[in-house]
Formats: sequence, C-alpha cells, structure tokens
Amino acid sequence: MLVARKLIKRFQDRVVVDELDLTVAPGEIYALLGPNGAGKTTTINMFLGFLAPDGGSVSVSGIDVAQDPVGARRKLAYIPEQVALYPRFSGVENLDYFSALGGRRHTTNELFQLLERSGLPRAAAERRVATYSKGMRQKVGIALALATEARALLLDEPTSGLDPAASHDFSTLLRRLAQEDVAILMATHDLFRAREDATRVGILLGGRLAAEYTRKELEHADLEELYLERLRS
Amino acid sequence: MIFAIARKEFVDAWRDGRFRLGAFVMVILLATSTLLAWRQTERTTHERAAATALERENWLGQGQKNSHSAGHYGVNVFKPVAPLSLFDRGIEPFVGTTLFLEAHRQNQAAFAPAQDATAMRRFGELTGAVGLQLLAPLLIILLAFGSVAGERERGTLRQVLSLGVSPRALVFGKTIGLGAALACLFVPAFLLLFGALSSAEWVSTADVGARLGWLALVYGVYLSTVLFVSILVSTLAPSGKSALAILLAMWAAGSVIAPRLASDVVHASMPLIALADFENEMNEDLQKGLDGHDPRSKRMEEFTQRVLRENGKARVEDLPFNFRGLAMLESERLAGEVFDHHFGRLWDRIDAQDRAVTFGGALAPMIALRTVSMGLAGTDFGRHRHFAVAAENHRREFVRVLNEDVMKNASPENQAYAAGRELWEQLPVFALDDVGLERVLERARLAIWILIGWFIASGMALFWAANRMKASAA
Repeated sequence: MLVARKLIKRFQDRVVVDELDLTVAPGEIYALLGPNGAGKTTTINMFLGFLAPDGGSVSVSGIDVAQDPVGARRKLAYIPEQVALYPRFSGVENLDYFSALGGRRHTTNELFQLLERSGLPRAAAERRVATYSKGMRQKVGIALALATEARALLLDEPTSGLDPAASHDFSTLLRRLAQEDVAILMATHDLFRAREDATRVGILLGGRLAAEYTRKELEHADLEELYLERLRS
Repeated sequence: MIFAIARKEFVDAWRDGRFRLGAFVMVILLATSTLLAWRQTERTTHERAAATALERENWLGQGQKNSHSAGHYGVNVFKPVAPLSLFDRGIEPFVGTTLFLEAHRQNQAAFAPAQDATAMRRFGELTGAVGLQLLAPLLIILLAFGSVAGERERGTLRQVLSLGVSPRALVFGKTIGLGAALACLFVPAFLLLFGALSSAEWVSTADVGARLGWLALVYGVYLSTVLFVSILVSTLAPSGKSALAILLAMWAAGSVIAPRLASDVVHASMPLIALADFENEMNEDLQKGLDGHDPRSKRMEEFTQRVLRENGKARVEDLPFNFRGLAMLESERLAGEVFDHHFGRLWDRIDAQDRAVTFGGALAPMIALRTVSMGLAGTDFGRHRHFAVAAENHRREFVRVLNEDVMKNASPENQAYAAGRELWEQLPVFALDDVGLERVLERARLAIWILIGWFIASGMALFWAANRMKASAA
C-alpha cells in the first residue's frame, strides 16, 4: 500500500505539493494526471525517499519513508520514463544485478522466465541492452518488479514514447501485476492508458488533488474533457 | 549486496573498450620499459663487476714502488647497481657512478650516466615507476570518472538507489570492484617482476624481495588514493564530462606541475653551493685549517715537536721510524676533518632539500611517493651518500695502510724501500655494505606518513560524499 498524508513539498518559496492525501491500495492502479510542474514526479520522488517532505508523511507497505527510506524502497519497484540499464550488460545480466541489489537472488533460468513473463524472449534477453528499444527496456523494468516481488510499483511516464503495441503490452503487464495485489501509482500524461488501466484517476493541479475519479465514474464520461475542464478552472 | 556491486563494476570495467585499450597500452609500455631496463641494469652490473676486476688487476700489477706513490696511483671504485634501479632510476642518471680514491683528496663521484646521454634523454626515461606514477593514475581516471557521475547521467543511479541500496554500500562496492579490475593489471606485473628478480643470477641484494613487497604496498596505497579521489570527484561532479575535466586538471597539477614547482621552490630557497666555490673553500680550509687561524704548516710543526718530545729526540732523523709516514698519517687525519666538514655540510643541505621537497607531498602525493620509491629502489640520494661515505672510509683505510707501511719500512737507512704485490694484496677490494631496509624506511618515514595521510583523508572524503549522495541523486 502507498499512503501520502498531508504531504507538502516546497522548492524555495514555491509550493510544489500542497497537503496531498493519497492512498493506493494493493491491487489498485492509480493514475496521477496533471500538467508539467503539477507535482507528480515530486510526489514519486518523496515515495522513493529521494526528496524529504517539508510536511506530512509518506509510507510504503506501512513503512514510513522518512524513518526508514532503505526499508521502504525494499518494498517497491520504480519504473521511470526511460528505464536505465547498463549498456554493456545483457537484459538478463541487468535483471540479475538489479534483483541482487533488491535483495533477491534468482537462478539464470528463473531470470529468463521472469523476462519471458514480461514479454522479452530469451534471445533478446541474452543481447546487450545497448541495442534495446524503449519498450524492451520497460519490459526489463517490469521483470525487475516481478523479480524483487515488490509490493508497490511507482511509474513515472512509463508509456511515453512507446508505440501502441508496446504500450498495450505494457498495460497488460501492469494489470497482471495489479492482480497479484501490487499497489501501482502511475504518473502519466497518457489519458487513454489512464482510462484503460487505472482503477482510480487523480488530477493534480498546483500540488493539490483537484479531482479524483473511480473506474466506474469514468465508464460513461470523457476523461479528456474532465481533465481539460479541471485545467481551465 | 556490496559483492554484487563490486562484481558488476569489475565486469563492466573489463567490458569497457576504453579501459581495455588503456590497460593494453599500459601493459605494453610497462613491459617494454622493464625489459629494456632489465637488460641495461644487468649489463651495467656485469660491466661494473668487470671494471672492478680490471681495477684490481691493475692495482695488484702496478709493480714495486714506494707505498705512498701507490697512494697516488690510486684506485677506482664503482657504485654497485641497485637491482631495483630497473624499476625506478631515481637520481642515478644524474650522479656519478665512479669514485677515484687517492691519497690526500676526497673526490666526488664522476661519470653520471646522463653525461653520455643524447638530447632525447631530456624527455626522461620511461620506467616502471614513471609508468605507475604518471600513466596509471590516468588509467584510473579513465576508469573511474564516470563511476557515479555517469550513472547519474544515465539514470541508473536512481534505479539502483530506488532498490534500497545505501549510497555508502554503492560507493564501497564500486571502489572494491574498480580496485579489483586494476589489481588484475598490476598485481601480476609485480609478481612477475618479483619472480624474475628472485631468479636472476646478477641480483645480489638479499632484501630485494622485501623491498619489492614494500614498493607494491606503497604504490598500492598511492593508486588507491587516486581511485578514492577519482570516485569522490565523480560523486560530487554534476556530470561525467566535468568529473573528467576536474580529474585531468588535478592529474596535471599533482603529477606534472607540483613536483617541478616543489623542486624549484626548494632550490630557490635553499640553494646549493656552486661546485667551484665548494672546491675553493675546501682547499682554503685544507691550507688554513677549519678555524682559518691555524695554518697547515703551523699545525704540522706543532705535531713534529710533539712527536719529538714524546720520543725524547731532537731531530726527526733520530726517530725509530720514518717520520714522513707518520706525518702523512697526521696530514690525512687533518684533511679528513676538513673533508668531513665540507662534504657533510653539502650532503646535509641536499638531505634538507629532499626533506623540504617531500613536504610538498602534502599538496601532491606523487612527490611523497617518489621519495619512498627511490629509497626502496636504492636510487635516492641517501644511498648515493652512503656509497660516497663508504668509499671515503675505504680510501682512508687504504691510505692509512700505505702510510703506515712507509712509516715502518722506509727508514732513513732504507730510502730506496719499495713495497710490492704482497702489500697491495693486503688492501681489500671495495665492497659496499648496502643501506639496510630498516634505514631506508626510517629515511622515508615522513613520505610514508604523508601517503598514509592522503589515503585516510581521501577515503574519509569519499565516505562523506557517499553519505550526501542521496540529495544529489534525486
């Protein structure tokens, strides 16, 4: 579970996150929408413990990030817009290294299986990642979440720049992770994917949660229109 | 976790084509320079042994003559080649290797190898020490400049830290991994050199293995410091490019400019006496005495009167021995005091200069490293002074034996006395009892402490930078 309580972050005099309350339960995919500078990445950085909040608190699976940032990180996986990998290593070697850092050791066969579950065939997993497309990198990121058995997943613009097929594959993987009771928080500009995948959608404006919709509420509404309406107001 | 990080760094380093190319060039340069130096050192050792044998042959074959004339015939002694001079030439190219021992004079060592060198020599010699002091840090910089800054730029740093890795563990693991990659390069090279030196018939220094061990330790400390500083800069720099620029500037300042500057500043503030002035002052003191008020003629006259008084004689001709021999012994004693004073003052000054330059190691550790390296290789001024003092002691003993022979045997009744091979054989061949390792380490103590200080300070600075990495990574 991911929880933010009265979360505040300021950069000098500018309030970037303003008393944000947010809970992402296990099995939920929460899409955080908002224009650039709305505070989406800052919120994710506070969940990761890379930024210290100026007020309020964040916790991951019940672990207060401020108290135990390393322990909190052990419970989550992070997939940025561009999954960063070591170019001189193959996909499976990258996964082996990152999962070892996450405290999980797997046999080579298990690692190949995890990558295959994430949509990366063995032949590709054996190649150096310098030749990988963005979609292939994202798949390694998902495999890492599987390998570390993360209970929470933070995604920052994960489908930006992916072609439709890769984006669809990625969504399928996310939904599969949610079915395994992983709490997923996704900062995105991709309204289509937010509507397709998210169980809840929040619109962040000026660091505040301006609106929140459940999947049911969005079934008969146009998310783009709701979003633009919020921006205009 | 630290092992996983270290292993990844190790593998990544060896997969890096730039590092492999740099390592290949480094190995080729070190191997070539060491092989050439090996041949030269071996040849010089044999040449000096042959020259010593020839000198002995000449000495023994000089024929019948007055013992004191034999003192003027003199003998050349040659500075034994330090086996590890093949690794670090130190000051050897610039100081003499041959000393002419003769009655009445303490000569300076002559025939410095640099005198025979071509103009190309001004670029310096590439030896193992130069390779490790100048080129190895460049290789480390090439390997480590992007260790943290590169990860930050690539985004893998966020990825790694997001997995719950502590920055300290990351930096520690990286240091071990990169250190291991470098050790794979340098440790076999040292072991190979150790094996080759241990089995070489021309290597006579018993403690060469221990010296090489100390060299490995000292260079290990120095190169570790360079690695710490490189990772430190990579941790603090905003980008890989700026880390590389900063490290190259530090390399140029610490390895090229600082040693030259330290040497120039010390020479300007503690100048050495000019050779002509040195000779003039010494000759003056030989004539006038060290206090300048006690001329040689007066002192010899007083000595004559004292000897006559002690023996109850009125004339030197009545003494039961050849007074001329005794007078020459006394003259040598008095001259010895003057030589000890002047050479001692000159050498103390050079020692003081060396110490002052070593203090520059506080600003650039390579200066301290050079001091220790030369000392352990037996190519520093300490060993040269040791050789000069030993040769002078040998000269005094050799002159004493000859003068005593004159005193005892060249009596007034036997003016035509001439000594022969029997006496010449009584004078031993000069053999240098080399400076012991303990004394070398004692002499290099300041430089060793400076290197240890750098090692600890850079390690602590890296620890501090790792602790504050969290903020800069986000």
